[in-house]
Amino acid sequence: GNCSNSMVEEGSTLLRRMEISVAEAEKRTGKNTVNMQEIFTVYLIETRPIDAITEGHNPAPDSLWRRYSEFEILRNYLLVTYPFIVVPPLPEKRAEFVWHKLSADNMDPDFVERRRVGLENFLLRVASHSVLSNDKILYHFLTEADSRIKALSATFRVKNPDKRFTEMKHYSDELQSLTSQLLRVRARVADRLYGVYKVHGNYGRVFSEWSALEKEMGDGLQSAGHHMDAYAASVDDMLEEEEHYADQLKEYLFYAEALRAVCRKHELTQYELETASSDLISKKQQREELATGMVRTFSFKGMTNKLFGQETPEQREAKLSLLEEQIVQGEETVTEKTVECEEYVKGAWVDMQRFKEQKDRDLREALIGYAVMQISMCKKGIQVWTNAKECFHKM
Amino acid sequence: MSAGTPKSLASSGQKPIQEICHPLGAEDTASVLTPSPDVGNTITSIGGKDLSLPNGTPVETSSPASSSSLLNRLQLDDDLDGETRDLFVTVEDPKKHVSTMETYITYMVATKTTRVEFDLPEYSVRRRYQDFDWLRTKLEDTQPTHLIPPLPEKFVMKGVVDRFSEEFVETRRKALDKFLKRVADHPVLSFNEHFNAFLSAKDLNKRQGLALLSKMGESVKYVTGGYKLRGRPVEFSAMGDYLDMFTQKLGTIDRIAQRIIKEQSEYQVELREYGPVYTTWALSEAELQGPLEGVASCMANCSSALDELTQDMSEDFLPVLREYVLYIESMKIVLKKRDNIQAEYEAKLEAAAFRKEDRASCTQVPTDVEKCHDRVECCNADLKSDWDRWQNNKRQDFRQLLTGMADHNIQYYEKCLAAWESVIPLLRDKQPQETETEED
Repeated sequence: GNCSNSMVEEGSTLLRRMEISVAEAEKRTGKNTVNMQEIFTVYLIETRPIDAITEGHNPAPDSLWRRYSEFEILRNYLLVTYPFIVVPPLPEKRAEFVWHKLSADNMDPDFVERRRVGLENFLLRVASHSVLSNDKILYHFLTEADSRIKALSATFRVKNPDKRFTEMKHYSDELQSLTSQLLRVRARVADRLYGVYKVHGNYGRVFSEWSALEKEMGDGLQSAGHHMDAYAASVDDMLEEEEHYADQLKEYLFYAEALRAVCRKHELTQYELETASSDLISKKQQREELATGMVRTFSFKGMTNKLFGQETPEQREAKLSLLEEQIVQGEETVTEKTVECEEYVKGAWVDMQRFKEQKDRDLREALIGYAVMQISMCKKGIQVWTNAKECFHKM
Repeated sequence: MSAGTPKSLASSGQKPIQEICHPLGAEDTASVLTPSPDVGNTITSIGGKDLSLPNGTPVETSSPASSSSLLNRLQLDDDLDGETRDLFVTVEDPKKHVSTMETYITYMVATKTTRVEFDLPEYSVRRRYQDFDWLRTKLEDTQPTHLIPPLPEKFVMKGVVDRFSEEFVETRRKALDKFLKRVADHPVLSFNEHFNAFLSAKDLNKRQGLALLSKMGESVKYVTGGYKLRGRPVEFSAMGDYLDMFTQKLGTIDRIAQRIIKEQSEYQVELREYGPVYTTWALSEAELQGPLEGVASCMANCSSALDELTQDMSEDFLPVLREYVLYIESMKIVLKKRDNIQAEYEAKLEAAAFRKEDRASCTQVPTDVEKCHDRVECCNADLKSDWDRWQNNKRQDFRQLLTGMADHNIQYYEKCLAAWESVIPLLRDKQPQETETEED
């Protein structure tokens, strides 16, 4: 619900003024960035001013549709803009590995519904945060039905990220996607294998019943039936053991997320450095203009140049000295950020190498363990059927 | 049939014994039966031997006997009674024949025997399903008190089953082979003249014509006899009960086997998706690429092993199981015949008793009643011995069937085991990196 007390914090947060919900989900088709037809889900964000409700009116909510990727852009923007804030997470991007009846499909209605709830939860948390809730972009996101939010993704794009980190981030996406898929399919395989083994238990019963009809064949049939029962029962332990392998894969599924976070943090520090550098450059440019009285006709990073000439020399002096201060500060910041970036890259890269070695070791061990399990399963199978064969021989 | 010196049968144009090649000499057989490939049109005879089939269709080029058929000839069935066998029959080498009127399959029926009832020690003739059907009908007519083994189903739905597919033909061949072997093993049926003709005659045509007319023969009369049975001996009732319950069990086993095949197929579907994920993952990895690809290929091997298991069960297990149901039906018919013969006797006896009361002097049992009584006794004795024989065969057959099932499963697991064991060294072995890394 909207008015959960645990969510509403002190101060005048957005949530106090506005009722927010993610009411519905719908499928849409459209063309993606490579001009291919795609199907995606959009979510209906509904807002209503609380005053109107408490006054007894029941106005229709304002609403707009947004898709998951837009939520992602919003969150990334918040991460960058408020680096000191623990920003609430979004629900999972893809359906993680599922067991039995749950579907792995992003289009599956259950998954979509769970996501809808998750997205609503995200908005409520952000809107009840004392700092985040005041953000204008957030407000825009909730109330203005345009795609200006998409332009945001460009504003914090890093110009010169370390290529190794970009590759690593790409790898972390792959790792996440692959382990997730592997876990999903493995679960289905296990489910089917279970079925195969269990049906053999029926042989146990029918052989037993049949043996009651027979004279000489009876004993052989009866014992064979017992082996069939044992065969059917053996699958439980084997699949239980296999869960250990699944857990090992899961660990790396989650590890991939942590790896991704390291890459993103690099992007963030790099972004901050780039922002500080471009700020410094523009400040220097302003100083030059002020000093020479010249006007630049181009605009730099969204900042427009003003036409000077309306000011008094004293005003201009004041501006200049302010600029000088800012430039000195700016240069310090750039130096700081440069060092920060370099140290981060160094440290992170070392740990990512360590991680890579650990991952190679661990996953190799996991695969060996899995192969050993399969070997054990095959040997048990041979044993049971050999036993059954001996019983059949005695029929 | 003559004894002693071999003699050609007038109608068939058989070769004298010196020219008959040993069936195990595969190439020779082929050269005798096969027209030279260079010959453009059909050849109807080689060396005076008429190769054409009963309806005049020339024989197509046939291949030399395969190794499996050789094995077939060499294999001796497990014989619990320890009888020395003197008659061996096999059905093999199915061939398709196309004529303007119809398309059909013939099978080669190969016989080896030392029995004096046969003119020659070896025969090799081509027969089609019709001929087997004829034989069975003749056997039923001429040996009404005996259990005649069943034939595989005669009719198949044309749209549903491909009568000429390898699978169908092979399944049928096995069943026909089983049929002839069962007849050959029977101490009475194997000496039947029609069986002899079936195995040895070049041309069954004339006899077939007669057979078609008399198809609705003696046996039918016994099955549908209108007499009511008074008291069935306990042992025969027990047989009937057993057959009913056994049929039930077979039905259950059939259903289970089918279910297993279905579950295995569904498992296979998932397996086929599972392996490739490892392959895709391998593309993103460096050091793990080898191990991941190894696992993927291992799974592909297990997948094809599973395919083979499922196929074997479909082809070897299910058809034999189903054919046993037919065998049980045949046995039930024999029991019914016996009941009717007994009922007929009882009715006649009762009628005679009435008449006896009229003729005060007559103390003798009329001859036709005596004949009936004999028939009953004979029938019961034949049935009992056939029942014992049938039980024995059933035991052997099921032992073989179930052992075969176990074998197929063992083979499957052995293949998978080999695949996984071979991948372990690949997984353990750390290949030296080709690209420069920060590792030692």
